Amino acid sequence: MAKKKVKKEEKPGVILKPEEYSIIGKPFPRVDARAKVTGEAKFAADIEMPDMLWGALKRSPYAHARILHIDTAKAERLPGVKAVITGKDFGGFKWGWSRETRDEEPLATTKVRYLYEGVAAVAAIDEDIAQEACELIEVEYESLPGVFDPFEAMEEGAPLVHDDRLGNICVEYHWDFGDVEKGFAESYLVQEDTFHTPRMAKGYIEPPAIVAYWTDATHLTVHAAKGSPYFSYRILSNCFQLPLSNVRVIQPFIGSDFGGTKNDMVNGDFAATMLAKTAGKPVKIVYTQFDELTTCLRRHPMWVTIKTGVTQDGKLKAIQTKVISDGGAYTRMSPLSNYLTGACMTLPYQLPNFKTDIYCYFTNNPSSAAMRGHGVYHTRFAGDVQMDMMAEKLGIDPVEIRLRNAIKNPKPGKLYETISKLHLATCGVEECIEKAAEAINWKEKKKKKRVEGYRAYGVGVAAGTFLSGAKLSGHNACAAIVRICEDGSVNLMTGATDVGQGSDSIMCALTAETLGIRLEDIDLKRVDTAHTPVDPGTYGSRVTVLAGEATVNAAKDAKRQLLEIAAKEFGVKPDEMEIKNKKAFVKTKPEMNISWERLVRMACYTTPGMVVIGKGQSTRGISVYGLTDFSSGTGDFGTNYSFTAQIQEVEVDMETGLVRCTDNSVIAHDCGFPLNPPAVDTQVVGGAYHPGVGAALYCEFKMDKGLTVNPNLVDYKLPRAYEAPMTEVIHVITNDPFGPFGAKEASEGSTCTAAPAVINALHDAAAIWIKELPAKPEKVYWALKEKRNNK
Amino acid sequence: MKDFEYFAPKTVEESLSFLSQYKEESKIIAGGQSMLVIMRQGLLAPENVVDIKGITALDYITYDEKEGLRIGALTTHRAIEKSPIIQKHFGVLSEMERNLATIQTRNWGTIGGNLCHGDPAGDPAPVLIALDAKLKLKSLSGERIITMEEFSKDLLEVDLKPDEMLIEIQVPAKRPHTGIAQEKLMVMQGDAGIVGAAVSITLKPEDGICEDTRVVLSNAASVPLRVREAEKRLIGKVISSHLLAEVGEVASAEADPPSDLHASAEYRREMVKVFVKRAAAKALERAKIG
Amino acid sequence: MKGEPKELRFTVNGKLYELQVKPKALLSDVLRKDLKLTGTKRGCLESTCGVCTVILDGKAVRSCSILALQANGHQVTTIEGLAQGDKLHPIQEAFINHGAVECGFCIPGRVMMAKALLDENPDPSREEVRLAMQGILCADSGYVKQIEAVEIAAGKMRGGE
Repeated sequence: MAKKKVKKEEKPGVILKPEEYSIIGKPFPRVDARAKVTGEAKFAADIEMPDMLWGALKRSPYAHARILHIDTAKAERLPGVKAVITGKDFGGFKWGWSRETRDEEPLATTKVRYLYEGVAAVAAIDEDIAQEACELIEVEYESLPGVFDPFEAMEEGAPLVHDDRLGNICVEYHWDFGDVEKGFAESYLVQEDTFHTPRMAKGYIEPPAIVAYWTDATHLTVHAAKGSPYFSYRILSNCFQLPLSNVRVIQPFIGSDFGGTKNDMVNGDFAATMLAKTAGKPVKIVYTQFDELTTCLRRHPMWVTIKTGVTQDGKLKAIQTKVISDGGAYTRMSPLSNYLTGACMTLPYQLPNFKTDIYCYFTNNPSSAAMRGHGVYHTRFAGDVQMDMMAEKLGIDPVEIRLRNAIKNPKPGKLYETISKLHLATCGVEECIEKAAEAINWKEKKKKKRVEGYRAYGVGVAAGTFLSGAKLSGHNACAAIVRICEDGSVNLMTGATDVGQGSDSIMCALTAETLGIRLEDIDLKRVDTAHTPVDPGTYGSRVTVLAGEATVNAAKDAKRQLLEIAAKEFGVKPDEMEIKNKKAFVKTKPEMNISWERLVRMACYTTPGMVVIGKGQSTRGISVYGLTDFSSGTGDFGTNYSFTAQIQEVEVDMETGLVRCTDNSVIAHDCGFPLNPPAVDTQVVGGAYHPGVGAALYCEFKMDKGLTVNPNLVDYKLPRAYEAPMTEVIHVITNDPFGPFGAKEASEGSTCTAAPAVINALHDAAAIWIKELPAKPEKVYWALKEKRNNK
Repeated sequence: MKDFEYFAPKTVEESLSFLSQYKEESKIIAGGQSMLVIMRQGLLAPENVVDIKGITALDYITYDEKEGLRIGALTTHRAIEKSPIIQKHFGVLSEMERNLATIQTRNWGTIGGNLCHGDPAGDPAPVLIALDAKLKLKSLSGERIITMEEFSKDLLEVDLKPDEMLIEIQVPAKRPHTGIAQEKLMVMQGDAGIVGAAVSITLKPEDGICEDTRVVLSNAASVPLRVREAEKRLIGKVISSHLLAEVGEVASAEADPPSDLHASAEYRREMVKVFVKRAAAKALERAKIG
Repeated sequence: MKGEPKELRFTVNGKLYELQVKPKALLSDVLRKDLKLTGTKRGCLESTCGVCTVILDGKAVRSCSILALQANGHQVTTIEGLAQGDKLHPIQEAFINHGAVECGFCIPGRVMMAKALLDENPDPSREEVRLAMQGILCADSGYVKQIEAVEIAAGKMRGGE
């Protein structure tokens, strides 16, 4: 592949050697950990206001129906009810994840498109009365035939979910790089397989919640569990025709997001804000897990058909994929989810030819959207399992075949370019695979087949990637403000949202490291759109890279202002000075120094007196990669890309088909430079276990004509502690020039490697291939039986 | 959840009075670990709730070498799991409790509440049947004793009249050369078993022949199911692994398992074979030791 | 009369409370709404996630699955009752220092579960720690650091390293 020189305008900042950092690169506790372990941290459902009312939603009992008539009279008359609203109260407003995809209403007006879609809402003095009032709302529906999976949706003459969307196509992409037919013709082995990834719940334990109130007719305030509060503020501004400056979204602590539902809006958000307006009092709506599991966004179920051609020594010649996905009732972010299924296929292995056809269909199911490992995991699962299938036929070891294909780490100053024009300054996947294999003793484990009674053991490997610092569509700018108080303490304000991934702590650490002071000196203000600068939010693994960049720039700006004062004092130029360990000093004569506090006081109190405010923006986030670029699949939608290799051992009960992960579990992760190594460890392990192993072994929504059959956390199995492998994490450091202090995203890569590693391990133990996830015991059992019968 | 009238009796007699007064209009709540969920879902809305959790007199575990074990109906699962008496004399009960749901459920939920719920997927009932346990039921008009097996009538239906309460579980002293074991198929630790089997085997020490046996299945029918045809195959024989496999097949044919989102009836039948074999093998091992 | 409030007299975090509560009120509702102790979280409301876990008479229980009136005459400890003023409990410290806290939503319930475990069994095996953690769901951490944090706290509480 072509190697390019680093473009001038993208020249990275100077990277210190890690030993020179005071805070970054070493373990440090999260800044908000104490509030969380004492119970002081308030989440949205914990917030109470005087005169607060409880809201409840009236939901449709049909998956697809026309709304003929709504009668709210009885509900309005119930004592304790303070407001009742329906979809019509929103005046025809529609919203969507992007301007081009506004197809959803705050509450349905003429048609409902998924079971339990909200059609009306009530605010009352307590939860019970609100629920009772909802039951008194009378809605007349005309039930319509529906479509419940993409195969029904694509049929000729199938009922349309959206009347103006023919063929129920939500989005489709067709990309063609190189010449796959020629690639296949030149291949020694060509194989085609179809894989299925299940419909999955996001899995966060905190259901969505919101408290909304109006301070006057034109000023709205909302406390809500929002991973991207600036999405909400824009959407609410449009909805209520308010200037953005009047919409205040205040972020409480958030119990995880994982990329959907808390990233945009739910019926309850619109209901709470409109009810608050109507009733003139604060309104709180708290979802239950039942609401979450029946109405909120899920991971798209996908059917991936992949055709691959390789040479006799296992090198990839061509890959062609066809992806069919179930987008559910509304568009939401399906364009992005489906785009991503192809966008990373040219990573982490060298690939000269790639073609894909991607189809996402509307169905009468709750909408599908992002989830950790967004889009990339589906096709990476297919690709990495098929790679093992083909390696077996060729007689090549799975680790070996990956090393033969891995993209090599570009030399400093050079870029690797894929056929789809993704550019890598760093790629540690080769080292990841080698280190993982070494750590788990791969060669030894593969030599001897381990069987103990009815238990068979096997190991499997997978390699993956994920984009970092997504620069995708719409307004991507983000900024930070570093305010240095007169006593030397520091306020940090960014619009970046910590949903539990630890970004608040990272932003504080980046600030402290840049300013040369301690972590404890930084006080971070959580997002309040009235005060903090805009930021697109927590998705696309962008916060560390892009908000981090903005934060570093803001800190540098504040530092520059201080050093100008200090330099004048010492009669040198500002760039001859440095600040470290709370001391500003002349680099060549460190005995010429001044303490941080004295310097700040000097700056602030000497006439005319300064106000030290550092402002910084992300420059990398500004270049926009929009929906139009999705149609070609070309170009960088990420700032840089992380790489992962995972090896997992499994234990298979050959009599029952039950599969368990053992503690022989390793993940080698290239996140450029781990800014807080233990935090990266947990994120990487969690990313592999919850969505990854979850998909491989446990998680699956069962649907029946739009009804979620298993809407509780026992029937929908979320991964638990007893079965969790004690995974070892190895850091591969590549120091990427495009991330702050060399950093790239951490842990979405491992969400893509876990499922294929487990399925490959299952094959190693039991000689069966499970191509439809999850590999539940019954599925494995029948596959084992079929294999025995075929012998 | 709908409002209800609430009584919290402190004695058995007080409780029986309420039941006698309100009969079908009342429901007993003990730990509530099964009941509160369905009440919150609106599937159950009793007018009167009789909260017996405070009747400390029904929280006990006693053992007598001749009489055996007596467990008060309000003994928690956790107390049974941790009881030194039970661990020593009826270890299978402690093992079974260890795999039942999670610690929080076991800390508050009671054995009586579990048995009265009548869930064929439940773990205690099959083990108690294998142990030849009896239940003492009481009403204002008197007491009666029935076997654990007789208590289970149908899916979520037990032989308990509206004015009756379960008071005590009685487990006879173990005969010598008897081993009991229980195994279930859990995807995750603490899950209800996809299927399970509880097996008791008594051997004749002189020749190792199986003198008596009980084989009971969970989640393989609408009640905890004693598979008598399977048991017959064991009686009078020296148990080999070949015989165990055969017994598993017979048990599987006797079972009538459900199909649900967790497993098909067909798979459950296959798993009956596996778990009868495994539980019986363990029971046999234990019988040989003591 | 249906729904008529009854007296609830119980101790929470060492303090005696006397309240009138409706029979259908759940313990978690009373703790959060009446006593304003929002540290105990409201999660699934159907006994599956465990974030509502508190300690009742020394035992870990799910407060969403207990009628408040059943706590009458009993002692409840919530996360707010763990620290002694500014001094954190060793379990809380271990969770912070070992990086076992992520979004934090499951942490109060998890810490209380760990406390109940270690009060009953000061030297648990890894298996026993896993069994205790099984009752509280996390979505984020992979459980590894949490299991290790409990073991570290156990060591500190036993007076060792």
